[in-house]
Amino acid sequence: MKKYPPPQLFILLLVFLFSSLKIFAQTRPLTGVVKDSANQPLVAATVSVKGSNVSTTTAADGSFTLAVPSGNITLEVTYVGYNPVTVPVSPDQADVSVMMQAGSNTISDVVVTALGIRKDERKLGYSISTVKGDQLTKARETNVALSLSGQVAGLKVTGTSGGPGGTARILLRGMPSMNSGGSPLFVINGVPMDNSNRGSAGEWGGADAGDGIGNINPDDIETMTVLKGQAASALYGARASNGVILITTKTGSKGTANIEYNLNYVTDKPIDYTDYQYEYGQGQNGEKPLTAAAALGTNRLGWGAPLDGSQVIGYDGNQYAYNPYHNNFTNFYRNGYTLTNTLSVSGGGDNGSYRVSASGLNNDNVTLNSGISRKTVNLNLNQNVTKKLNVSVIANYIDQQDRNREYLSDGPGNPNNFQFLASNVNNEIFKPGANPDGSEIVFSDDNYVTNPWFVVNNWINNTGRKRLIGSLSAKYNFTDWIYAMARVGYDHENDDYKNVTPTGTSYSYNSAGQSGSISQSNAQTTELNLDGIVGINHSITHNISFNATLGANLRKNDFQSIGVSGGPFVIPYLYTPGNVVSFGRSYGETHREVHSAYYSVEFSYRDLLTLSTTGRYDAFSTLYNSGIPKEDRNIFTPSVSGSFVFSQLLNSSILSFGKLRASYAQTSGEPANAYQTAVYYSVGNSINGTPTGSFSSTLPNLFLKPFTKTEYEVGADLKFFNNRLGADIAWYTQETRNEIMNGSLSASTGYTSRVVANGSVQNKGLEVALTGTPVKGRNFTWDISLNYTHVQNKILKTDEAGNNVGLGTYRPLNANTAFVVGLPGPQILAHDFTYNDKGQVLVDASGLPIQNTALTPMGGVLPTNYGGLNNSFTYKNFNLSFLIDYNYGNKILSATSYYSIYRGLNKLTLIGRQDGITTGYDDNGNANTVAASAQAYYQRLATISKINVLDGDYIKLRQVTLSYTLSEEMLKKVPVIRTVQLSLVGRNLFYFMKNSENIDPEAGFNASINYAGIEGTSLPSTRTFGINVNIKFKN
Amino acid sequence: MKKLLIYIGAVTTMVAASCTKDFDKINTNPTQASSDNFDPNLLLPRAEVDYVSTIQGYSGALLFQSMWAQVFANAEYPTYYSNGDKYIASGNYTTYTASIWNNAYQAASKAKEIQNLIVEKGMTATNLSSVAFIVQLLNLELVTDIYGDCPYSQALQAKTDNVAFPVYDKQSDIYPAMLNSLDSVISTLNASGDKITNDIIYKGDIEKWKKFGYSLMLRMAMRLTKVDAATAQKYAEKAYAGGAFSSVADNAFVAFDNANGFTNANSSALQVPEDFSQVRWSKPLMDFLKANGDPRVSVIAEIPMNGTANNNNKSLDGDHTFAKQIGMPNGYDQNGGATDISKAAGYPGVSPADPAITGDAPFAVGLYSRPTAALYTRNLSTPGFILTYAETELLFAEAAVRGWSVGDAATHYHNGLSAALQSYGTLNSAGAIPAADAEAYANAAPLNTSSTTASLTQINMQFWATTGTLFNFIEAWNNWRRSGYPALTPVNYPGTGGFSNGQIPRREVYPSSEASNNGENYNAAVSTIGKDEVITRMWWDKE
Repeated sequence: MKKYPPPQLFILLLVFLFSSLKIFAQTRPLTGVVKDSANQPLVAATVSVKGSNVSTTTAADGSFTLAVPSGNITLEVTYVGYNPVTVPVSPDQADVSVMMQAGSNTISDVVVTALGIRKDERKLGYSISTVKGDQLTKARETNVALSLSGQVAGLKVTGTSGGPGGTARILLRGMPSMNSGGSPLFVINGVPMDNSNRGSAGEWGGADAGDGIGNINPDDIETMTVLKGQAASALYGARASNGVILITTKTGSKGTANIEYNLNYVTDKPIDYTDYQYEYGQGQNGEKPLTAAAALGTNRLGWGAPLDGSQVIGYDGNQYAYNPYHNNFTNFYRNGYTLTNTLSVSGGGDNGSYRVSASGLNNDNVTLNSGISRKTVNLNLNQNVTKKLNVSVIANYIDQQDRNREYLSDGPGNPNNFQFLASNVNNEIFKPGANPDGSEIVFSDDNYVTNPWFVVNNWINNTGRKRLIGSLSAKYNFTDWIYAMARVGYDHENDDYKNVTPTGTSYSYNSAGQSGSISQSNAQTTELNLDGIVGINHSITHNISFNATLGANLRKNDFQSIGVSGGPFVIPYLYTPGNVVSFGRSYGETHREVHSAYYSVEFSYRDLLTLSTTGRYDAFSTLYNSGIPKEDRNIFTPSVSGSFVFSQLLNSSILSFGKLRASYAQTSGEPANAYQTAVYYSVGNSINGTPTGSFSSTLPNLFLKPFTKTEYEVGADLKFFNNRLGADIAWYTQETRNEIMNGSLSASTGYTSRVVANGSVQNKGLEVALTGTPVKGRNFTWDISLNYTHVQNKILKTDEAGNNVGLGTYRPLNANTAFVVGLPGPQILAHDFTYNDKGQVLVDASGLPIQNTALTPMGGVLPTNYGGLNNSFTYKNFNLSFLIDYNYGNKILSATSYYSIYRGLNKLTLIGRQDGITTGYDDNGNANTVAASAQAYYQRLATISKINVLDGDYIKLRQVTLSYTLSEEMLKKVPVIRTVQLSLVGRNLFYFMKNSENIDPEAGFNASINYAGIEGTSLPSTRTFGINVNIKFKN
Repeated sequence: MKKLLIYIGAVTTMVAASCTKDFDKINTNPTQASSDNFDPNLLLPRAEVDYVSTIQGYSGALLFQSMWAQVFANAEYPTYYSNGDKYIASGNYTTYTASIWNNAYQAASKAKEIQNLIVEKGMTATNLSSVAFIVQLLNLELVTDIYGDCPYSQALQAKTDNVAFPVYDKQSDIYPAMLNSLDSVISTLNASGDKITNDIIYKGDIEKWKKFGYSLMLRMAMRLTKVDAATAQKYAEKAYAGGAFSSVADNAFVAFDNANGFTNANSSALQVPEDFSQVRWSKPLMDFLKANGDPRVSVIAEIPMNGTANNNNKSLDGDHTFAKQIGMPNGYDQNGGATDISKAAGYPGVSPADPAITGDAPFAVGLYSRPTAALYTRNLSTPGFILTYAETELLFAEAAVRGWSVGDAATHYHNGLSAALQSYGTLNSAGAIPAADAEAYANAAPLNTSSTTASLTQINMQFWATTGTLFNFIEAWNNWRRSGYPALTPVNYPGTGGFSNGQIPRREVYPSSEASNNGENYNAAVSTIGKDEVITRMWWDKE
């Protein structure tokens, strides 16, 4: 060790600078060692002499040497996660041994950072946030990602209106890039896991088939650590550009077995946000229907006569009361429920620890015959094989079956089509959905608008997943300061899909009276990660410690799918792919690899100053087989960060801790899909025996390079009044370059889209997290935390011509979202009114407003200001906590608005029902005198899509939990049971404020960035109530 | 120490960076072919079948042109047929109106790629290249006939020339360019040249492709009769001299294969219950055919059996009796108001409920003639016509009436009428009219040569009825716009969402996506044509 090269110049300079602050006095040497209760050395614990500025940190073996003043002194030892210790030292004592107890009364925390490396949070030069597992499990969400909503500054999580098995849109620091869904990388115990969406609804319908994070059982999670900035996640290189969320699962600890059982039962009550008119019933032009055919055509048109209690013909020729009918929502949707049982056993001995858990989740969704069953088994083993070799095995097995995932948006098979019934029509007259002969009871003028009763009773859309996420790692400590680690991480998903358009479905009949179709497929997705890491923790001097990691990663992603489909069925109701008149098949296979090498080096001067740098070199297979030179396909990306704990120099009684931090980082990325660098041709079905061929309508790009993202971040972490008040502030600016994405093309080019690589997007933001303990008494404590996020997104570049990049739309198709240069993305583009020279609304000869054919930007769909407020009150054994979250600055493109206006359901359409509407001006500025009928006027108005752009602001009571704990003390005399915690929980309770009429501002049918902010004809939102019972057993 | 670090560093870096030598292979799609091993012949069937699918079904023809040209009628409101029958935007109007643009350019792109591959691979395949070009022109002609000005000279060049934003050419430039190219390409076809292996129209018969080329030239030429008679004459005569179709055996059509996913989109659309039960032949069409005592009436039309259940039963044949057939007027609904079909002149009354079926109900439009199920809808593999001998003969007849050197008008008319009658058998044996019967009828109904107007009327009425009943609705509508026959009465349905101001649409509007995908050129095109509306006339459709 003595042979070390001298530390670099800047270190010396810093030492020189700060050593001048030291108090020089008569000193003597003191040596010692700091260990924990398990007799393990504590690295980098702070040892200081009370009443002086003399301090040091312990080395990797827990030892320290300190020049202390002569005479009696008191040593203060602090270490993150441990209770501080004071040790009196007599003048003749030459060495001391200090034992520290783990505790919660700490200045700061050890946090998990990239690659699973645990670090003292105060040394970090970038912002990260940690959410503890118990914040995710009480008032739980089936998809654990949704539980993060409102908890972390900079993080925005939104669900889909597709039921509890749906996908979460997770955006860190705004929209991180244009080309991806935006989801951060999830890393579970060091193993990157797949979080891809398995299928989603577009404007043409389809079902949300869920994501990867939704498979994880929250009961197994110890912490979730959000690495927000690029500096924090830079070691993950290519996949860090959207940020990283690290999941650490629970482990066992030394001692006898801990047995824990958790029961969670919640019920989901669907919420009807509509406030429609109930004055006029079905019909057209102010008349109720006169024939059964007209009734069929107007079941979803509320342009009839005033509801007067008279009789009206129904679609089936029967007479019904022409009265308001209010129960369509409650008639059709039921209360859902979710029951989760988790049992875990954990423990450990001198040389190892273990934790095993098993969990079962059963869910019934709000539509009939739909729900989830999920079983998980989690195993976590850790063993010191020899003194130097530690081996750990982690395995997480998941079996999740989703029954009848609901089709959303505008397409066949959607169970939500009763949302637009005219106000007198009772959906029960369309029950049970099928005629006695099995054929669908068609309830509207459009065969493709499937009868929802028929859907829930007959349609099938099941997805199944069996998944193993496992890792095996071995760590070898060569000495107490250098180690090597090897890890294999493996994530394998075996997915099954079965969807059946059942016998009897109206639109599917052929002339022979055969109907229905089926599609069945299986997909295998694997990700393999091999990591080799060498780590060094070393104190160069007593004040300067050095820490370095050198590693390499090999990642392999493989995907294979095979499917068969066909229809109609030869034998009715026999839903198997063999039983079809004509058939199809599908086959997919992709492979990709990334080879990477990386380093991380960190120097710390005491607890005062930390400087670190990382670098990563990535080679992506997805950029090979292309036209560019090899050196342009591989990329090196660096990061530098630093932290300065200035409070050490102040000795302030008010400011207990103060840190400034700054970082610069670059990360890189690859195309979202393989095989985009060359043209391929496929062979399709033969037509009457003649083979056919085709090629993709997306033009590949032969000149792709890795895209990059660069970020600057500065921040401060401040704690006041003995940590009773804390503030964490971060400001950043980030920019992507050479983003790779699909840009639409006019079909006249021969292709409908192409891979472009010019994209650039900027995010600037401010994140503030305040924590406080206003009241702290013997029996009563009040904790409060508030987080605030401001993000300003701007699209800097799209393709070479700066064209808009079209994203999603809704089915009236008179508006869409797009990336527009110079504006925040995604931007809603909608039609405005046409105005005359004086700015007055122009109407045509019939007195109807005229749609401006141009599409005008109407605002971004992602919020610019958002966050949450968490309050927690503890009184003796009771705890009450609630979370409020808020969201400002986004717009929603609402198909519900369009349909409710077009169909005469919206209250807005009550004006002018009797006398028509006379409004607007002509070209010359003369007021229009022609009255348009209400139906004509509003059906035109609905096409002026500006009217369907709603404001997305809200403040919501997200979560309330009330817990009571029966402590160990109280249960002393009770056999078996050690502690019990009972909680009453509520989630998604209500809005204090929202501006979007008739809809939930969080509603949406697709979690991808393309469809962000677009809603319509999806499952209702639900309000969740339930109980959580946690029992720990005596052993 | 140092050595260890250096060693570890070297190893990790090597692992990471060195073995990218497999990466080219890893990033090669294992399920698809590259240009090296792909046979361009395979793209030809796709280009051919995609063209036919584009002129069928919901991609436009059935929802718009079949009713704009008043071949069909649909007495419902609202339904997606309101777009065609009543010129009222309904269903997904915006999607429908973009379909032909998107589909035809993509079909053309398949054909263009055949030519690209021939060049790329250095193949000698003149016949394949020329046939691919003809199929490409067929698709591009469709685009310009539907929308007017459109990308042509810079179209389909994203891959080869990196043209991402093609300019729109004026139709007045496109047509001469197409005719000129077609002329030179036909001359390269050589029956003893390279073989075409995957052709599903003519099985690689180059002589037939030659005839097809000249027949297409004739159709393109005749488009220009209103606007540039000289060019029309030049190319019509060239087509005649070169040799167009000479018998129904030359008819160009694609035989579908439903079992393998190639479905006749007209048949499958008309099998949708709402379509099957409600789409009827129009009054103008049935009146015309019946007035001529046309034997096709009993072949193409049937009255469904009584009642709702029988009407909706797709496997039940109707009544083919000539005298009973009645066409439905356009522009009505079944909503009980002033425009209810029961108020229409000549309403045949409701189809009474079938007493043999419990709970059966009367059916409001059940006594109007529907397209014969056995002929058109029942078989999803029903062939789809592209261009027929009957059409070319009728076009030559008109050219002859105009005094051009293309032979005798009456003969052409006779051949056209006879060929028309003989074409339905291609669709299905239910449509077979024996050649002798066809000839007999054609002999009994010769061309009226009393005046040019009389001749033109008769020829073009026949063209409309023939293309309409052979389910080439776009051609029926094209020829109506060009010739003014038949004289149709526009529907003026009360209500909202009307997109044509009560006139029969004369084009489709550009896809809304053009504004964002090719904005500059799109805006230039819109300002050239005036207004991007369905009633704006295109170049060859001048008043």
